[in-house]
Amino acid sequence: MKNRLKVLRAERDWSQAELAGRLDVSRQAVNAIETGKHDPSLPLAFRIARLFEMRIEEIFDDGDHA
Amino acid sequence: MSPKTKAAAPLGPGEERSRQRRRRQWMYLAIAGCMGGVIGGITGFYDEGEGNLFTGGAEAMTLPPLLALAIAAGLLAAFLALPLYGFRLIDDYKRERNLVAFTGGCLAVIAGYPVWAVLHAGGFVPKPHAFGVFAIAYVSMTVSFLYARWRL
Repeated sequence: MKNRLKVLRAERDWSQAELAGRLDVSRQAVNAIETGKHDPSLPLAFRIARLFEMRIEEIFDDGDHA
Repeated sequence: MSPKTKAAAPLGPGEERSRQRRRRQWMYLAIAGCMGGVIGGITGFYDEGEGNLFTGGAEAMTLPPLLALAIAAGLLAAFLALPLYGFRLIDDYKRERNLVAFTGGCLAVIAGYPVWAVLHAGGFVPKPHAFGVFAIAYVSMTVSFLYARWRL
């Protein structure tokens, strides 16, 4: 699943470790989500959305726009 | 200001939490390693029989009864309590990789034991033994974990 996590993180000048700590996950998890290797669980997606004060679909794109 | 005299930037709250998480994880690994070393060392030191756990001769091992009970408790802690506690420490991503590892170990035993048994029946390999089955599970689990870590 595509996402804007890396861009949003860069806009705030946060490292992966900084974002990981704010989300209470490992840095490897942030890296895996950013590179599209891992889709976050729904609770984590909500935490990400709240942290960036956006809606989930503004951050994640499953490519299904039907 | 030269790089040597430049003050280090203060850690953000997220960076600090990430460091704590890493410290906790290393502590967990150190405790697991120590437990394994102590259990293995004591078992090897006090074994009074002719058997060897690593060559399939576990039935010929003998240990003082109280020590055997203590080692059994230690093994339960190391192979059951500690991993279950570890699952609570890690996040969804790492839990997923660990589940791949456990699945690999489980499937290897389910497929490996009958294959080993029929190969023994055909005279190709020695009789299946408990440590061999344990080793199949452990090695497969490790290989599956490494696969999940680098490929998934």
